[in-house]
Amino acid sequence: MNDAQTITVEVIGVEQVTPLIKHFKLAPAAGGSLPVFSGGSHIIVVMQGAGRVHKNPYSLLGSPLALDTYEIGVRRMEESRGGSHFMHDAVEVGSRLEIAHPVNLFGLDKIARKHVLIAGGIGITPFLAQLEDLHGGSVPYELHYSVRSSEHAAFLQRLQRREGERLHVYYDSEGQTIAFETLLATQPLGTHVYVCGPVGMIKHVIATAQSCGWPDSHIHWEQFSAPPVGDAFEVFLARSKLSVHVPPDQSLLESIEAAGVEVPYLCRGGVCGFCHTRVLELDGELVHNDHFLSEADKAKAKSIMPCVSRANCKRLVLDL
Amino acid sequence: MLITGIKSKPVYAPLQTDTRGRYHLMLAMGAGAAPLLRVIAEMRVVAGPSLKNTRVLFVSDAAAPEVEQFKAATVADLQTFPSTPALLERFRAILQKSLMGTRLYVAGPESFIGLAMKIALEFNLNKDEIRAEECGTLARRVYCIHCRATTEDVRTNIVSCIGCGRWLLVRDHYSRRLAAYMGVMVDAEAPGELPPLKEVFL
Ligand code: FES
Repeated sequence: MNDAQTITVEVIGVEQVTPLIKHFKLAPAAGGSLPVFSGGSHIIVVMQGAGRVHKNPYSLLGSPLALDTYEIGVRRMEESRGGSHFMHDAVEVGSRLEIAHPVNLFGLDKIARKHVLIAGGIGITPFLAQLEDLHGGSVPYELHYSVRSSEHAAFLQRLQRREGERLHVYYDSEGQTIAFETLLATQPLGTHVYVCGPVGMIKHVIATAQSCGWPDSHIHWEQFSAPPVGDAFEVFLARSKLSVHVPPDQSLLESIEAAGVEVPYLCRGGVCGFCHTRVLELDGELVHNDHFLSEADKAKAKSIMPCVSRANCKRLVLDL
Repeated sequence: MLITGIKSKPVYAPLQTDTRGRYHLMLAMGAGAAPLLRVIAEMRVVAGPSLKNTRVLFVSDAAAPEVEQFKAATVADLQTFPSTPALLERFRAILQKSLMGTRLYVAGPESFIGLAMKIALEFNLNKDEIRAEECGTLARRVYCIHCRATTEDVRTNIVSCIGCGRWLLVRDHYSRRLAAYMGVMVDAEAPGELPPLKEVFL
C-alpha cells in the first residue's frame, strides 16, 4: 500500500460520544460511493499534522451496506504521539483527510455455528460493522461489552435498540466483570470467539479459551498497538544507501517514510505482518512491540516490524 | 493415467494425544482400535487413571477382543455399533450436544475416516480439533461425476458405477464434502475400450 492509492474524504459529521471518544462521518470528497468493505475492516487515516504526517488505523463501524459514508470512532489516547489528538483537536466538519482502502484482518468465520463477541471500551468499533452483517442472519451470536462506566459506553443506545437480549454490558464502576471461564467453557461446538479491547483483556480471553480446550483456529483477536515512544536511534537502509534518524516520538516506519522510502503496510499496528523487514546488522537489541513475530523469531533478532518496533542500539542496518 | 500426483488425496499421520482438549471423542472401526488404545495409554500417563471426559465409539461386534481391551483400559464410556451408519448417527447426535474444547480422534479405513470428517465439517470442526489415522483396507468410496451415485468399497482401478453402470476410472481427486474419490467415465472417447482391471486399493 502506498499513498498513491488513498481516497480524499471530507468530514461531514463529528460527535463527542463519550468523554474520550469522538465519532466521525467521512464522505468521498469527489462524490459517489466509497469502496466495499466487510465487517471488521479498518482504514488508515492519513493526517497532515504540524510538521509531520500521522497514519493511524481505525475500524469502520458503519453498515457495510451504506457506502456513501464511512464511520470511525477515535479514542483520545493518553500518550498519543499526536494522531488521536490531531483527530480530536484539529478535525472538524469540513476538514479533509486522506484514507487508504479498507482492509479486513478481523473478519467473521464464514462457517461458524455461533459467534461470541467480546469488546472492551473502544474495542467495540470493529464489532459494530460485524453486527450489521450478523443481524438478521441465521447464525446465533452474543456480544459482551465491558466499559468503565455508563458515561464511557460508546454507541450503547445504538446497540441496545438493535441487539436486545444478545447484548450484555458490564460496568467496571459497578464492579461488574465478564465471567470468562463460564462463558468460554459452555459454548457449543463450532463457536468462534472474537475479542477486541485492552491488551490485558485480549491476553486473558486467549488464555482462558485455551485452558477451556479451544483450538487456536476458533480464537480471533484484534489489537492495534500505537507505536510506543522510545530512545532515538539511527538506522541505515542498505539498499537505498540512506541513513535515517528515528526521533523518540516517531516510529521507525514513519521515519523511513519521511526519508522517502516506501515500506509495504496494511495495519500500522503490528498485526498484519506486511511491513516485515530483514535486519542485516545490529550492535544492540531490538525492542519488539508487534503481535506478528513469534517469540522465537523475536529472540533471533533477524527481522523487525518497523510500524511499532524500535531498537536500542548504535547501529541498525535494514534490508530496505 | 490420472491416478497419482493429485494434492487432494488426504494424508494421515499416526494418532497423537492432544492434551489441550477438554473432552476426547474417539471413533474407530476394525483395525482402528489399536491406534486408539495407544492414544488412551498415552493420555493416562498425563491424565492419571481418570479418563472421564473420554468417549469411544467402535464399529465391531460386542464380542470382539478389542472390546475387552478398551474395557481393561477403563474407558468409562464405550459404545459398540454393528455398522458404520449406526455409529455415525450416534456421532452426529453427540456433536449436537458437544462443547468447545472437544477433540476428535478417528481411526480406521479411509472411507470410514472420510464419512466421519464429513460430519465433523458440518459442525465446523477445524484441522486443529481433529486427529485421524488410516488403518485397514484402502478401499475407496467413488463418486460418479456423471450420475452422482456413490459406489462403496471399491478396490479396483476402474469400476462399474452402481448408479448408471458406466465404467469409471477411480481418480486421486478426493472431495471432503462428499467423502469420496471422483470417478470419471473411462471409455468416453473409445466406447468399450477399457484398461485392464487391477486390484489396487487393498
Ligand atoms: S504494517 Fe501491519 S505489522 Fe506493520
